[in-house]
Formats: sequence, structure tokens, C-alpha cells
Amino acid sequence: PCAIAIPASVLHPQEQQEEVLLKQLFRQTEVKFGVSIAYKSELVKDQKAKVDLAACKSPEEVLDKVLAPFNLSYQKVREHFYLIIAKEVTHTSASDAVQRPVHGKVTDAKGAALPGVTVRVKGTATGAVTAPDGTYTLNIPGTGNDVLEISFVGYETKSVTVGSQSEINITLTENTSTLNEVIVTGYTTQRKKDLTGAVTVIDIGEMVKQPSGQVTSQLQGQASGVTVIGSGQPGQEPVVRIRGVNTFDNNTPLYVVDGVPTQSINDLNPNDVASMQVLKDAGAASIYGSRASNGVIIITTKRGTGKVKVKYDAFYGRQYPKGGNAFHTLNSQEMANLRWLSYKNTGTPLSDTLYGNGATPRLPDYLQPVGLMEGDPRVNPDLYYVNPNYTDQNDYNSFYYITRANKTGTDWFHEIFKPANMTSHNLSVSGGSDRGNYLFSLNYYNQQGTLTNTYLKRYIIRSNSQFNLSKNIRVGENLSFSVTDNPVVDLLTASGAVGMAIREQPIIPVYDIKGNFGGSNGIGLGDAMNPVAMQYRTRNDRGQVNRVFGNIYADVDLLEHFTLHSSFGGEVNSGWRHNFTYPQYENKENAGVNSYTETTDFAHNWTWTNTLNYHNTFSKVHNLNVLVGTEAYDERTREQIGTTQDFFSFDPDYVDNGTGAGGQTIRSTRYSAGLLSLIARVDYSFNDKYLISGTLRRDGSSKFGANNRYGLFPAASAGWRISQEAFLKDVRWLTDLKIRGGWGIMGNQLSLTPGNAFTLYGGNKNTSYYDLQGTNNSVLLGFQQVQIGNPDAKWESDINTNIGVDATLFGGKLEVSADYFQKNIKDLLYNSELPGTYGTAPAPYSNVANMKNQGVDLTITSHTDITKDLKFDATVTLTTFKNRIVKIAKGVDYFDSQARNFSESIIRNAVGQPISSFYGYKITGFWNSQDEVDKADQEAQTKTNDPGATFQEAAAPGRFRYADLNHDGVINSDDRTFLGNPNPKVSYGINLGLTYKQFDFSMFLFGVHGNQIWNQVRWWTDFASSFDGAKSKTALYDSWLPDRTNAKAPIQEGEGSFSTNSVPNSYYVESGAYLRCKNVQLGYTFPQQFGNRIHIERLRIYVQAANLFTITKYSGIDPEIGGSDVRSFGIDEGTYPSQRQFLAGLNLTF
Amino acid sequence: CKNFLDRVPPSSLKENLVANKKGINALLIGVYGALDGQDFTDGDMTNLSGGAGFAVSPDNWIYGSVCGGDAHKGSDHFDAPPILDLARYTAGATNSFLNDKWRVDYEGVTRCNTVLRLLPQVTDMTDEEKTEVEAETHFLRAHYYSDLKKMFNMVPWIDETTTDMKTPNNKDIWPNIEADFQFAWEKLPLTQSEVGRPNKWAAACYLAKTYMYEHKYPEAEALFDQILVSGVTSKGEHYQLRNRFEDNFDAATENTSECVFAIQFDANDNSGTSANANQGEMLNYPYNGPFSCCGFFQPTQDLVNSYITDAQGLPYLDDYNNHSITTETLDPRLDWTVGRQGIPYLDWGVHPGDAWIREASTAGHYSPKKNVYWQATQDKYYDPRGWAPGNAINYNLIRYADILLLAAECAAQLDNPDKAQALVDSVRGRAARPESEVYLYKDDSAPMGGFQDVPAANYNIARYPAGTFSTKGKDFALKAIYFERKLELAMEGHRFFDLVRWGIASETLNAYFAFEGNLTLDVQGADFTKGTNEYFAIPQRQIDLTTNGGTNTLQQNNGYH
Repeated sequence: PCAIAIPASVLHPQEQQEEVLLKQLFRQTEVKFGVSIAYKSELVKDQKAKVDLAACKSPEEVLDKVLAPFNLSYQKVREHFYLIIAKEVTHTSASDAVQRPVHGKVTDAKGAALPGVTVRVKGTATGAVTAPDGTYTLNIPGTGNDVLEISFVGYETKSVTVGSQSEINITLTENTSTLNEVIVTGYTTQRKKDLTGAVTVIDIGEMVKQPSGQVTSQLQGQASGVTVIGSGQPGQEPVVRIRGVNTFDNNTPLYVVDGVPTQSINDLNPNDVASMQVLKDAGAASIYGSRASNGVIIITTKRGTGKVKVKYDAFYGRQYPKGGNAFHTLNSQEMANLRWLSYKNTGTPLSDTLYGNGATPRLPDYLQPVGLMEGDPRVNPDLYYVNPNYTDQNDYNSFYYITRANKTGTDWFHEIFKPANMTSHNLSVSGGSDRGNYLFSLNYYNQQGTLTNTYLKRYIIRSNSQFNLSKNIRVGENLSFSVTDNPVVDLLTASGAVGMAIREQPIIPVYDIKGNFGGSNGIGLGDAMNPVAMQYRTRNDRGQVNRVFGNIYADVDLLEHFTLHSSFGGEVNSGWRHNFTYPQYENKENAGVNSYTETTDFAHNWTWTNTLNYHNTFSKVHNLNVLVGTEAYDERTREQIGTTQDFFSFDPDYVDNGTGAGGQTIRSTRYSAGLLSLIARVDYSFNDKYLISGTLRRDGSSKFGANNRYGLFPAASAGWRISQEAFLKDVRWLTDLKIRGGWGIMGNQLSLTPGNAFTLYGGNKNTSYYDLQGTNNSVLLGFQQVQIGNPDAKWESDINTNIGVDATLFGGKLEVSADYFQKNIKDLLYNSELPGTYGTAPAPYSNVANMKNQGVDLTITSHTDITKDLKFDATVTLTTFKNRIVKIAKGVDYFDSQARNFSESIIRNAVGQPISSFYGYKITGFWNSQDEVDKADQEAQTKTNDPGATFQEAAAPGRFRYADLNHDGVINSDDRTFLGNPNPKVSYGINLGLTYKQFDFSMFLFGVHGNQIWNQVRWWTDFASSFDGAKSKTALYDSWLPDRTNAKAPIQEGEGSFSTNSVPNSYYVESGAYLRCKNVQLGYTFPQQFGNRIHIERLRIYVQAANLFTITKYSGIDPEIGGSDVRSFGIDEGTYPSQRQFLAGLNLTF
Repeated sequence: CKNFLDRVPPSSLKENLVANKKGINALLIGVYGALDGQDFTDGDMTNLSGGAGFAVSPDNWIYGSVCGGDAHKGSDHFDAPPILDLARYTAGATNSFLNDKWRVDYEGVTRCNTVLRLLPQVTDMTDEEKTEVEAETHFLRAHYYSDLKKMFNMVPWIDETTTDMKTPNNKDIWPNIEADFQFAWEKLPLTQSEVGRPNKWAAACYLAKTYMYEHKYPEAEALFDQILVSGVTSKGEHYQLRNRFEDNFDAATENTSECVFAIQFDANDNSGTSANANQGEMLNYPYNGPFSCCGFFQPTQDLVNSYITDAQGLPYLDDYNNHSITTETLDPRLDWTVGRQGIPYLDWGVHPGDAWIREASTAGHYSPKKNVYWQATQDKYYDPRGWAPGNAINYNLIRYADILLLAAECAAQLDNPDKAQALVDSVRGRAARPESEVYLYKDDSAPMGGFQDVPAANYNIARYPAGTFSTKGKDFALKAIYFERKLELAMEGHRFFDLVRWGIASETLNAYFAFEGNLTLDVQGADFTKGTNEYFAIPQRQIDLTTNGGTNTLQQNNGYH
């Protein structure tokens, strides 16, 4: 029934019986069956055939029919991918020559036999095709200068001079051109060469080499246009930004996993990822409409193919925190010396409860009771009384502490950061046939943090399967279930465990004389907390997050050209976490309460997508693909947090919300939002040369008021494959060259609260309840406004322009993809601060702001065979973006945040500046003498005509001199300026790969350039007058003194001032540039023969080092400084540094 | 499918659900709920504007007492730097505390306006019930505005009819405040079943105080005369000073006859936080002692010296700083106001001096006391839920001693010295009662074991000899009254505003800086600029947020930029 040809064109029915070019038939087959067919142009050049495609049930059937008349056959390389190959060439009877046989074997780079390879004597019709074991035999003419030409689709063609050899073994290298690669984009699949939008395809193999539990962390440096900033904390989701910052709130990209949109892929098993594409511009992403503005990352998970395959991948490693004196902290004696130095500088008598009296400070034997020496009756251990589990304030008030001084100094960083293990095991079983396919995988990941009591422990199982019910109906599911426990600490804040490790004085021991914690609870010891105690008290805290994510789907091929696709998917998240707050006793400021808190949450969302796809080719050259669809999205969450106080016992098996004797509080939150969408997409290409694509989406969101509920998001893009033009056909080194351009609008509504349109009221025990009856222990219900409504908020539009070029050179040896983009975000939704006269209820999101981003993304990939056995691959990705705030709100030119310990804010988000810019006074040097100060004051008095004027408040020798930027003769708040910003101008990744025979070596480098970090750690450590905590070597050895004017830090004093450390100034701004060797891996793949002997298909072992070295001038512990709030990031106040990881692993396939 | 997108925001009420009797009453309680300005978010003791709780403490310990020279900021030099700028009068328009203060007071105003705006929509209330709500709301709005007025002088008047929130600050709002209190004075009931609500006499007191700020002495006197004769508390008790001075600062004896209007604090109220537990004063406990925080709000030497009395038991009005607390007699109110070495610190033990001080070089040797709870009753009145202590001790926005001294001031201004002296003497008379002295512990090592009959210091206080004010004249009388307010109301957040009201802020504070700056580093070299520092700067943020087409709606106060 398949024999009668009905060509594709319905426009020209008279052509029914006509033959069609093979090329076109392949294309039609590709579209109809959703497969990819690769071929060498020469093989099918000008050859025509006639086949009734509609009658064929499978691509195999088409190919069988089409290829039968020719010397061609096909090979199914993997699911959905076919290669057209030449059949064994019949021997010509070259009887006139002296023929002789030549034989050999063709293998790939890894030594696997390659069947179906054409081996031909150059310039003759003589040839052979390799057998299933890769061997061939043919008779050569024996002319003496015979050359064998070995060609195979997907591999580089190779020529070998025969000479006198009779056995010629050949290794073919894969043709690495990715032009025909089929990639998944917005609601469809496209060949890479047909793309008109800016899409980065990620090399999964390289990406998953990074030993991390998060795909998002592994993404760092692997994709141009994507900026990833993380930390060393296991399980911490890094900040991912696609093409810069697009809005003042949530900048998280949209992830689409197997067609299901989600906001988080934190528990996606990296081993399950089959492909990953980043849609960066409107042309590619705008089809996701209101969720496209932050960029879209499309992920497909693995499917099974062919015979049953069992794969086991595992690694085990050890992680080492940074060694040495992490914060350049002084030791105990030096701390005392610094205090004496500051006393001298300030003119304070050299006398101190802790360090005694006299010209040099002496370290006491005891901190508590303060300043005592050994032998004093007051340090008699019998007097000691501390009950760490006290429940009564009177008990606490009766404590008698005895704590010895740690005269050498406690290394607080290494008291909490220790070497730790990590391991990952992944097992997968997969297979497939024409009736369907399946994949089952199991992953166990356990990364202990180098910071004690932080870890990521996770189990994930996945089941993907598809059932081909008939030739035109396919149903399937993708499902992942994960269970995670991931306790984390607060970073980049002085009150976190790392912040405390910076601040706690070295003279304080970890433990007191009886093994209870030591701390700042003495005199002259500052007010930091013991970080070891902080972490120890979290040891029994546990949590579990369960997440089911996936979808079920069906595809139905209809009529001739239509495919109906329906997918229902989403996720269910549920989890609990409990923690116990122990009373503190060792610190200066102790919280005496004991309490237990348990949080449970439940969240789900679902997405139902239905699309109808139409594909056809007209007049052989017009290729049209049309897709229309609908999508509904529903999201709901609920959370409950209960706290109970006052426990009889702190035993973890006893404490819960039912056993505490004291007050109980319970709190709930709920959330509900929905989206309804219509989707349309048209892709048209003419002669594979001119490509046009248009998308349109209409989104309706429950977050907007009825007036502006629906938004339209159009995009158009076009491509021109210049290399297909006649004038470039002959340029042989130019395999492919395409110019792309696109324009479109993307939207964003992530940050809006469900109640944005409404003025709402509610009660809050802290802020609106009141003890009106004067009971002293209870409150009456009271209400307040909890939301100011804005019914008129409308969609913001991210107007996006993109110009790009893709070039493939030397048959894929070099590929370059470059894009220039501009994003103008108009009507940006922002809950800009309202004047105080509105009250303090949350301001609604309104369309007030504008922002602009522009930049260049660049990817260069090259593959070189240096020698027969030595191959070299390199990929460089480059991301640049320049962010500017264009408008914040009418009449609002800036907003500040992050005062930290200053009286003014560090960060100013201002019109004309990049987001999160650092703001403050610019230091021009030190005041080196009182004369300089007096002179400046006199000048100020002349300039301002004010005889009482001073140039700069608190100016004095050794303090900072600020720049008078507005030249008004005095330093005041108008002289503040922008001192830097944390947005890198450039971030880049370099993947290098070498293979030599069975060995493979790879290295991945990542770097950023052109960003600044606000090193707030220096505020704590470089100024004696900042809080009385641990101080740095800089403070003691590199601070200003009359005879040390060429210093880094200012004079060390008892009191800080405007001219030292009470206002933000340029002292803290440092370059954040760094280059990090993220990963070095050396692998060895056992030869095929070895594997065959033990019935293993493939066995590879490797050793690896991650974060081996970092080149940076940044003086802090780690230059990778993020911060989740886009309006205030880049402030380092104690981060979780990346640790060195050394691993050994294996990849095993049965 | 349309319904799919119509979602009711969860966990909150739309306007139609609160515009009824129950809703209005809850909204009215919400207005009281803003009196303390406090919130508690993410484990931190914050204020309604999002900043630190203490920035807006309703007792004005920063703006009234620290800025008025009663107290040092305290603690470490670098703890809470915005306070240091305020204390030294270097705080400019960008000082974050001023912005918080502004926003939190206007949040109170907004809550009042919400009640008044929704009230006409309510159908299930009688006119009397509505009038009662209106009267309380006007009272509270006038309270919030009087705080704004004292702080910033020229502030925009926003009421329930305002639609443009960018209203200029070009009018003196004392008349509006007066009108609100007048309404409350006319409409509020004589007594209230809930003690936290003001009655008509509270409104009268506040109105009289408003007149005093406006220097409208005859109007004030007329009211004071009525108050002195007929004034009763919300519970119906006649206004009367408590025999024991300390009773005003103890949760066990609050809302009694001396209380005109107080913010009701509580402890352990099941909110799970300390937000309602006098959180604004969370920092104000001795350091290194039995309290978890933080050594702020340390009384100044200047204040301490003010309590020195001469042989007649009278204060040294001018040269108190030339006298010594160790050799001369003392007003016993000192030891209920200031924690100092060697004196029993409530029932916590003998104050050990600098061992309870964080940085004596910065802020001297004393600890605050009026805001501190007793050990014996800490289970009831201490709230441990924040990282710093909370307590249930009410803050008296107006206590009767304040009214007596204002009435005295009014009488003196109207040339009625004998009446003025009688009023001052009534306040001094209470301080002179034996109940108002501090006594030594029976056993220093068991401070909760009670007190002996032996006074802790050499106290000597007496009324002014009859006819002193009339003999020495109006200037003396006023000086004595001003001084009496300093002694009686020290550390209660009034001093700075009094100095400004009296027009003597500049000379008083610069003299204080000259004296105290020699003793501690925090105020060394500080300077008060006459004509500028009488009011704080309008927050720059608010000026910026209210510009219209590039023009400022809010005009900055004189001398700030």
C-alpha cells in the first residue's frame, strides 16, 4: 500500500505521480515522524523517488521504500536519528590491473568498531562497506599510488595512502559539526541550523563533570549569556541570570523540564539530563510570554534506546576548606598589642581589665573571671557552675564561669570548617524498541559541607517511559521523585556562623574549663557569638523535602501533516523541617529562651499544555511549520509554622510542638495564582536559506486586576544562511554561515503578590494587636491595612532586540556563535517605595520603572586532531552585559539599601547606574598632619564664607581624606559617589579537552572580570574602633602611624568617626575579578577487548580535582560573592567559600 | 475559564468585610497597636518601617532623652551609629532613624484615617458608637501628629479626606492637632471599660499640653484648672501622684491614679515575639550583668549632678555641675532614675559600676533604671523572646506629674507664682516621701531578700520654702519649674522637646556638651546649631519620594540640606 507515490504538495495535485528529490523526502519524513535524518549531500545528489508518505507507518518504512532503488541503506543511530549510508559497492571487474586485496578494521576514537563505513579507492568505483565488526576487505587496483578514502556520515572523511600495506586499520573521528542536531526549543524541536533565535545549546558531558548536586551550579561558565553565582554551601541554589538583571525583584529564569515549566531545578538529577538549551532572546523565548523575561532554560531528560543498558556512575571525594589564616586574623598577643596601639593613638591610659597595666599588655591566664592568673582562688574549679541546658533565668543568673585564655589564639575558621566527604552514585537501566522505550534511574548524592552541620543528602528516582500504541499514537510519562535534607547557614551577614568566625576573638577558647562552650561573655571580648556552638546547636535539626515532578503526555499524528500533543504535568512539593533553639550562656548577649519550631509546607502546581502542529513543504522549497496551542497553569502553596517554648528536657526525642510547657504560636501562609495562555508559532523557510519565525502568546494572569488581565507577547525573527548562496558555495572552509536577527516582547509577573490589585486588611499580633485591657500578658485582635491595592497594574514589557551570527568552519572543526542584544524593559513592575504619608502597608507593584541591558554573548568551539591519537577540544564561552536603570518611578531617582554598620547605606540603585551600585565617599589618601587638616579648613572657610566651617568632619592625622567631588569646599553627603558595582562586565568559561588513546583529560576554567566587591569583612577586621572583635594583621602592621604614612588602613583608634569607619567609603571596594580552575579531570577508558572479556560494554575510571586554584587580587576568602536580592548583592560579610574537592570516579556500562 | 483567573487573595480581608462594627473596632485597636511602632520579622526586633525597633521607640529615649542630654547613646561607640549622629546634632536628612520615625508616625496617622474613612460606610453601629470611635481616633491621630510636630515642626497634614498624599508641609499643624484633641475632649466618655483607651480627661491633658507647646497659656490654664479639680483616669480614679515614685515604672502598679495616658506593653502574650513588650527599649539594660542586652541609654554625669541638693534639700539650679555627688546630699529620685555604683539596682544586686558598662570612655559610668523590670516578678513581666529583653512596663505618654509641672509652668507664665510653687511642691513632696527613697539590701548577696530601713545614699529633698517663687520672681520660678521637670521626668523622653519649647535648647545643650564632652568621647566636640537643631531634618527620602515634576513638595527645615 505504500508503493504508490503521493508527493507532499497538495497545491499541485497534478504532480502526484511525480518524483521528488530524496532530500525533500527526507525532510518530509523528518517532520512527519519527528525524527532526524542525516546524509551526505553527494550520496543523494539529484536523486529522486516517489513514495506515498501518508501511507507509511514509520520512518523505517519510508526509508526502505525510498532507498530501495539506490545503492543506499540507512542506519538507526539512536532513537529518532537515522543515517543514510551507501550500500556495499559491487566489485568492478578491473581485470586490467594487478589487483591485490587490502583488509582492515574501522573504529571510532574510542576503539569501537564502526559498521557501514564506506571504504573506497580514490578516483575509482572500487569500494566496500565495513561489516558489523568494522572489518572490510577490498581489492585495490595496485597502481602503486592508490589512496583509500574512508567516509562515514557523522565522521570526518579520511584519506590513507596504501603503499605496500595489506592491512590498514583506520580510526575515524566524529564530525563534530552540530548543524543537524535536533534541539528542543519553545514547544517544538528545530535543527540547529534552522534556528533564528538566540539559543545556547549546552554540552551536557562537560557540564556534569562539575561535582555538584545542582544542575544550575554546573551551568556556571558553560553557556554564554548565562551568569551563575554560587557559593561553597552544599545544596545552595546559585543565582542564575540570563543576560543580566531584568527586574528589581525575582530574576529567576523559567525552567522547562520535559515541557513542564518550573521555577526550580534544584533537585533535578544531573545524570538524568539529556539536553539543555538556553533561550535568550525574544525570538526564542517570547513564546513563553509573561514568564520569558528572565530567559528560559529548556531541559529534556534521558530516554532509553536499543538493547537493555545498565549504567553505573559513581564518585567519591574529599573536600578541603581553604588552609592558612583565612581572615588574616591576629593572634592573641597581637590582639592585645593592637589594643595598646589604639590606646596610645587615642591617648587612653594603657590599662585594661583584660590585659592589665603597663607599657606592654599581658595576656591573662583566665578570661573568666576576667584577667586572673593561675593560682588565684577565684579560678578554683569547685566554684564553677554552668548549666548549659538551663530553663530558669534565676539558674542562669547564678552561673560562675571559669574560662582559660587561649594564648596562642583560636583559629575559628578551622574550628567550623573541616575536611568533608562527598559521594554520588547513579544507576540507570534503559532500553527501547519501536514499541516504546524506558529509562529508570536512581541517584544517591551526599555532600557533607566543609562547614560543620551543613550538608546535602538526597535520593532521586526517575522513571521515563513511552509507549507507541500504534504508528501514530504515542503516550508516555516522565516522573522524578526526590527526597532531600539540606540544612544551610546564612551567608554574607555578620550574624551568620561564618560572620561569627570572622568576629570571635582568638583569645576565646572553644570550650571552657569544664567543656562547656567558651564565648564573649567576659570583659573586653566583644559581642560575637561562638560559631562552633552555633553550629553544634543545629546538630539535631532535620528536614525533608519531597518533590514529585513530571508529566504524562500523548502525541497523535493526524491527517497527513498534523500532530496533536497534549501534556499534563507539574509538581507536588511537601516538606517539613524542625529546629530547636537552645538557650545561650557563653556569649555576651545571650538569648535565654528554649524553643522548638516545626515548619511544614505543601505546594503544588500543574501545567496543561495542548498544541497542534502543522508541517508541510510546498513546491519543494517552501517549508512551513505552524503551531497553535493553549496552556493553563495553576499554582498553590500552603505553609504552617509552629513554635513552642519552655521544654522540660531538650532531648531531641522528646521535644516537639506537643511537649513544650510554654507559649505556642502558629502561623500559616497560603498562595494561589493561575495563568491561562494561547500560543501560536510559525516557522517558515525558503530553500533552507531564508528562515523566518514568528511567535505570539496571549497570557492572562490572576495577579492582575480585571482591567489589565491579558497581555500579548509577539516576537519575530529571521535568519539568512549566506553559505547556501551561490557565491559562497565554493568557499570550502566555510561549512555554514548564518546571520540571525530578532525582535520581540517578553513579560514578567513573577514578583507580584496575588493580592496586588486589592486594598486588604488583616491582623498581626506584633503590629496591630494590642493589650487594650492592660493585662500585661495578652493582646486583643486589631486590624491594619496589609496591602495597598493597585487595580491598574498592567504587564511589563521587555522589548528585546538580538542580532547574531552562527558560523561553522572547516567542516565543524571550528564553530562560532555570537550575539549582540539589547533589552529595554518598559513599564517594569516594581513596588517602589511610597511616600511615608501612605503608611507602611506594602506598596503594590505598579508599572513605574525602566531598565536597559545590552551585551554580547559569544561561544567558540574547536576540535582538532593534533596527531592520530591526540585530539584536542576547546570551548570558550563569553558573557558580557551592561545594566542600566533608566527609571525607578515618577519623581524617584534612587533607592538605597544595606546600611550594615554605617549610618548611611552602602548600595544605591539609581537612575543611570547599574543595579546594586556601591555608593559612598571616595578616599583620596590620609591626612598626614594636623597642618594639612588646618589648611583644608582654612580653604573651606574661604570658599564657603563661613568662619566656622570645617572641610571634613572629624578630620585628623591618620584618618581618611575624602574627595570634594562637587568642589564646594566642604565634604558632605553631596560628595558621595558611585564606587563600583557587583555586575561583572565579562564572565567566561574555558573548557579544554585532550584525548590520547584511552586517556582523556579535561580542564574547565571560569572567570569574571570588571566587577567590584564590597568587602565589609574589612570593616570588622581592619579597624580597632569597629566592634571589639577579632582584628586583622592589616590593622596592626599596616595601619597609619606618623612614621608609617604609606599604610593601607587608617590610624587605629578607640573611636570611629565619619573620617574612618562610620560612613561607607571606597576603602571596602575591591576588584572582584577572578579566574578559577573549576575542574580538572583525568580519565582512562579500558580498551574494548578488556571490556568484552568481562562482559562490560564500557568502563572508564577517572580522578578529578575541583576548585583547584583561584587567581584573584581580592583579599577576602572567596571572590564569588552573590546575594539573592538583586537590589543589594556583592557585599561580602562572611561567605561559604568554595572548597577544593578531590574525587575518584567510574563510569560503567553493561 | 474566566473564573480560573478570579482569585480571592487568601488570609486577608477586603474592604467590604471590615466596614462594619466588628471590623471598625478591630481597626481601631489596630490604631493602638501602632503606638509602640514595633514589629518583629525574621527573628529580629524591627519597627513598622522595617528598621530597628529602637529607632522609633515611642518613649522617644533617643530624640527626647539622648538628644536632650539626659543620657548618652551608650554601648560601644559603633553600636547603632545613627543615634550617635543624632546625639551630636550631626544627623542630616539622610539619617535612617529619622525616616523610620516619620514613616511609623504616619502609619499611625494612616490607621486613624482608615477608621475615619470607613466609618461612614458602616451600617450596624449607632451614632453614639460611631462618635465614640471617632473621638478615640481623633485623640490617637492628634497624638501621632503631635509627635511628628515636635520632631519635624513642619509636616504635611493628611486626614481621611486627603487624596493627594504628596501634600506640602507649608502649614503649622498645631491648630489641626488642637481640633482633634478638642473633639476628643468634647466627645470621649468620662471612663472607659478598657483601661488602655483614653477618657475625656486624657484628651483634656493632651489638649492642655498642646496649648503649652503653642504658648497659649490662658487656654491652657482654663483646662488645667478643670483637670486639677475633676480629672480622673479612664478607670475613674481621681488623678493623684502615687506615694512611691518607682510605682510609675513597675508593671505591677501601672494604670493607677498617676496614669493619664499610657502605652500598654505586655510580656509573653502568645505572639511568640517581644514586639509588644516595650521593644523600643530593648537595648537599654546594663551590660555584662544579668541582662542579655546591650548597655545603651546611659545617664549622663550632667543629669546625675542635677540631683545634688543643698543643705535645704533644694537643687542647685545653675551650678550643679560644680558640686559632687559623693560629698553632698541627693534627691532620691536619682536612684530610681539612674543605676550607679554601690546602689541597689532594683532587686538585681548592688550596681557594680563599670563592670556593667560596655565602654565607659564613650558613655560614662551609669545605667538606665526606669525601664528595667524587677527580678522578683521577671517571670511575669520579662519577655525573653527577642535577642534583647522585652518587658511589660507601660510607658506613660502623660503621667500626672507631667501635668502638674505643666500647670505650674502655665501659672508661672501667667504670673501666678504661688500657684506655680504649690504645684511644684506637690511633685517634690512626693519625692520627699520615705517610700520614694532607695534603701540598702538586707543582704547584698541576696538582693531579692528585701531592703533594710537604711537609705542607700544621703538623701535630702524638701519643698521650696513658702513664698520662694513670688519672692524670687518669674524667671526664677520658671527656672525652678524647668529644673523640676528635668529631675522628675528624666529618661522619659521629654527633655529635648521641653528645651525647644522653652527656647533654651541651644544654650543648655552647648553647655552640656562643653561639660560632658570632657568626660566621655561620644559627645566630645559636639555642637548644637541655634535656629536649626531645634527640629530634626525632614527625611531626605520623604522629600525625594514626594517630588512632583522635579519640584519638591516638602520643604526642608532651616539649616538642613
